[in-house]
Amino acid sequence: MSKEKNEYEAGISSSYNSKELLKNTLLLGIIATAGAFFTWWIMIMIYTDGLNINVEVPIEVMYIIFIIAYGIFGALIVLTYIYNTAYIKNFTYKISEDHIIIIHGVLTKIVATIPYSRIQNINIVNGVFDRMFKTFTVKIETAGSSAAAASAKSGHIKPEGYIPGLKDPFIIEKKIKEMMTKYSAVPSGLEDKIFKPEELAFDNFISYILSKMREGEKLKTFITELREKANLSASQLAEKVGVPIQTINYLTEGRYNPSLALAYKIAEVLHCKIEDLFKLV
Amino acid sequence: MKFKKKISSRIRQFREEMDLSQLELAKLVGVSRQTIYYLERGSYNPSLTISFKISEILKKPIHEIFYQEPIIKDILEGKSLSEIREVAEVAGLNLEKLASLSEMDNEQLTKAFKEETITKIAIALGAEFKDFFENL
Repeated sequence: MSKEKNEYEAGISSSYNSKELLKNTLLLGIIATAGAFFTWWIMIMIYTDGLNINVEVPIEVMYIIFIIAYGIFGALIVLTYIYNTAYIKNFTYKISEDHIIIIHGVLTKIVATIPYSRIQNINIVNGVFDRMFKTFTVKIETAGSSAAAASAKSGHIKPEGYIPGLKDPFIIEKKIKEMMTKYSAVPSGLEDKIFKPEELAFDNFISYILSKMREGEKLKTFITELREKANLSASQLAEKVGVPIQTINYLTEGRYNPSLALAYKIAEVLHCKIEDLFKLV
Repeated sequence: MKFKKKISSRIRQFREEMDLSQLELAKLVGVSRQTIYYLERGSYNPSLTISFKISEILKKPIHEIFYQEPIIKDILEGKSLSEIREVAEVAGLNLEKLASLSEMDNEQLTKAFKEETITKIAIALGAEFKDFFENL
C-alpha cells in the first residue's frame, strides 16, 4: 500500500451493460426466432410425414412454441443484465509503477497482474456496438501466455488484459505514460546504449498516445498553386506520383498528414522543396 | 523506370552536434524515443509533421536531415567487400563498376546502369527487379 500514490485505479462505465444487452438481445433474438421456426417445422414434419397421417397441426401449437422460445429468450436477457451489472460492479483495474492489475469476475474472482515487461502490444478497439454507446475496449496482449496463443488461433478468447466499456481510454494512456516516464528514467549518458525490450513494447503504446496528442497540428499546403504553375491537373499529378486522386484531394484540404516519402515524391514531380509544398501551422 | 528509394537520416549526426540525447530529442519533438531510434536507423518513414518538428528543432532543412537513396545503393553499402565481390561474380560484372555504384547520385546511377544490369545485380543479391524499381 506504500505505493498508493503511484497507482491509478478505476472501473468501467455502465454503458458496457447497455452495449452487451443490445448485442445479446440481437443475437439471442435471432436464435430464439430461428429456433421457434425450426421446432414448428419439425412438428409439421412429424405430424404429416413421420406418422403418415394427414392432420392439420393446430395453429395454437405454433403460438405455444413461440411463447416458450421467447420466454427463454427473455429470461436469458434478464440474466445477462444481472450478470453484467455484477461484472461492472466487480471490475477494477489499477495502473501501478511496473504493472497493470485487472480484477474481475462475477462468480470466480480473477486478479490478473500484467508486468509491463510482458506486454507485447496494446490495442484500442472501437467496434460497431462500441461506437453506438461511445465506448472503447482496451486489449493488452502479452508474450507467451496460453490465452494469447489460444486467441491467436481462434481469435475469440479474450486476451490476458481485457478492459471493456471505457468511456475515455485516453485517461489510461495518460496514466500509463506518466508511469512510463518514471519507469524509463535511465541514467543520463547510458540511455542511447541501453534499450530494454520492455521499454520497446511500452514505447509502441506511447507513440500511439503521442500521435493522438499531435492530431491538432495542421499542415498548410501549396500543392494546388504549385500544381497549376506546373500546368498539371489534380488527376495528372496523382498519376505521376502514383497515388489515388483522393490522396491528393485530402492533402490539399489539409485533412491528411502524409509520410515523408510521399511528400518527397510530390516534391519531385513538382520540382520543388518540401518546405515550399507544406508548412506546419 | 525509377529507382525505389529509401529514406535515410542524419539525425544522429545533427543531434550529437547539438549535444542532445535520443530521449531529449524525442521529448522536444513529442514522440517516443523508439521513434527517434528507428529514424536514426533509417527503418521508418516518418510523417510530415514529425519531419517538420525535427527540422525545426535541429535547425536544418528537411532535405538535409532526411535524404533519399535508391534501395539498391543502401543494400550494397551494407555489404562487405568480399560479399560485393561475390555479387559481382554472380552478376558477371566488373568489381570496380559495382563498387562505384555506391558513390553515384541518383541521376548518375540511372545513366551508368542499364535496367538489365540492375536486374542481374538484383538476382545476385537474391532479390527481384521489383524490389529496386517502382512499377509505374
